[in-house]
Amino acid sequence: MAVLACLIVDQDRRAQWLRGVLDLCVLGLLARGDSYGYELAQSLQTAGLGAIQGGTLYPVLLRLQRSGLVTAYWREGGGGPARKYYRISAAGLAVVADAAGQWAAFAGGVGAILQERTAR
Amino acid sequence: MRHEIWLAALSEELRRHGVGPDLAGHVVAEAAGHLRDSGEPPLRAFGPPDAYAAAVADSVGGPAVRAASGPVRLRAVDIVKRYGKRTVLSGVSLTVHAGQVAAVVGANGSGKSTFLRICAGLVGAASGRVEVHGTLGYCPQSGGTADFLRAEEHFALIGAGRGVSRQAAARAGARQAAALNWTPNDAHARHLSGGTRQKLNLVLAGLGDPDVLLLDEPYQGFDGGTYLDFWHEVWRWRDAGRSVVVVTHLLNQLDRVDVVLDLSASATGVAA
Amino acid sequence: MIRTLTIAEMTLRETGRRRGVLVLLLLLPLAFYLARRGDHLGQSIRFVCLGLSWALSTAALFVGSAARSLEPRLRLSGYRTHQLFVGRLLALWTLGVALSLPYFVLIRFDQNDVRYGAIAVIMLLGVLVAPLLGLAVSALLPRDLEGMLVLLTVVGLQMILDPAGNAARVLPFWFSREIGTYAVDHTSVGYLDRGVLHGVITAGLLLLVVAVAFGIRLRRRPHVRFVEV
Repeated sequence: MAVLACLIVDQDRRAQWLRGVLDLCVLGLLARGDSYGYELAQSLQTAGLGAIQGGTLYPVLLRLQRSGLVTAYWREGGGGPARKYYRISAAGLAVVADAAGQWAAFAGGVGAILQERTAR
Repeated sequence: MRHEIWLAALSEELRRHGVGPDLAGHVVAEAAGHLRDSGEPPLRAFGPPDAYAAAVADSVGGPAVRAASGPVRLRAVDIVKRYGKRTVLSGVSLTVHAGQVAAVVGANGSGKSTFLRICAGLVGAASGRVEVHGTLGYCPQSGGTADFLRAEEHFALIGAGRGVSRQAAARAGARQAAALNWTPNDAHARHLSGGTRQKLNLVLAGLGDPDVLLLDEPYQGFDGGTYLDFWHEVWRWRDAGRSVVVVTHLLNQLDRVDVVLDLSASATGVAA
Repeated sequence: MIRTLTIAEMTLRETGRRRGVLVLLLLLPLAFYLARRGDHLGQSIRFVCLGLSWALSTAALFVGSAARSLEPRLRLSGYRTHQLFVGRLLALWTLGVALSLPYFVLIRFDQNDVRYGAIAVIMLLGVLVAPLLGLAVSALLPRDLEGMLVLLTVVGLQMILDPAGNAARVLPFWFSREIGTYAVDHTSVGYLDRGVLHGVITAGLLLLVVAVAFGIRLRRRPHVRFVEV
């Protein structure tokens, strides 16, 4: 029972972490090239962030669109209907570049503290 | 829950949460595509329709969400304008980022149009400065069209200035006209009704996709439906990352804009 | 280049649809010609050239005034100031040549014993100067009515003042009468030289006025700075 409680807490904390970085991760992926929702979700999962649900991902994309960090366009599918593709804007690229440095410093600090803990 | 049922419910929930019809259409189409690609059941991928619709509406509406995170597109600092002894604007400032909509409000004669013309660089200012990052489009309250030219010729003329080919300009013009529920024909501009002429005016302002749009109460003569279409265009421009400044004395859309500049209180206005 | 030509094309389209202007352009010189045809030789030629110049200046005045409301938007759309007035001038010059051709043919076959080459020179200089005058007046005076009065005064004075006097040389179409004398009265070539010089200098001065007036009216205000993105 206690183990289960720990697992649930872990999910909660993981969700919190994700809330903080999901938009930056999406921007980072888009910086490599245009993509659409499902493809982004798969890339995020492959990168190790776990399964990102559509209900979480698409509102993030909408917010990025609203703040001008990405733009969207519809591209006709080869055999199927059109898909909504996202393209990172110049502003978005600037944000990613900035965030990369900040995250490295932040994560480095957290990692250093946690390492010391387990060393005890 | 089968896809169609869930998607229909989503469509309804989006409407109830006040998400505009074209954005709602996009959201539903995108969700449908995602479900098709992933093969997941909708409740697992998105959750219940009303929760997802609420999340979408949350990302869409509310000034708090649109904190100025895009780059600055228009920055007006301490604009002072005098006509003889009368000071119309004393120290007005406004900053608009990409993907933001600003409304300039105030009583008649408070200098709204003058301020916009100063930002466009059409009128001089006694002091202060304006920075525009990118290209600028301007729509005056009236005028701005050539009596004896047809709509398509206007598109070609403005398009040439922006470096856009005739066909591309005609296509872009027709598309933007359609968004305002207008199909341009061969009539000379002088034969168009007042409201239609203003639609032409608005389309010309947005032709070539300028980064900043300055609109001076461009809805003169619009009927109720077109007025709503106009604001839809404004949100759509915002979606596309443009900055839009609208002079208006009609206040019913103010809760959805990002920045409000009120010129009526005193001669000094600072953007909220 | 494309921008300038686009302005020229649209100006021609616009003007072609203004029936009042077209009637004025086509018939006024004819009226001038016919009114003086019975007179002593050459009067009708002088008057038709003057009529052509006046009609063309007036057309240029209307073109300039009509374009005013559109010019700020054109500037914002990326047109440079010189492209705007050069484009309009190109259209008006084209119109002037097309207009003068039938009248030249008319003179060629209706009048004998005149120097046709010199008459062609008068018409060409007239086509050159008249739009410049009309556009300059419209650039300096914001309203049609004042502009029309100025043009009327110019043409009136042109008809009244003695061309030999110094006062007449100030008028923009003085070259027309001077070269006319050479063409009709078969005088020395000095008349031709003086006329051509006057025409060219007048054109140059008027072009300067147009450029400066447009430049001031459509200038980029110093308080605005555009940053490339």
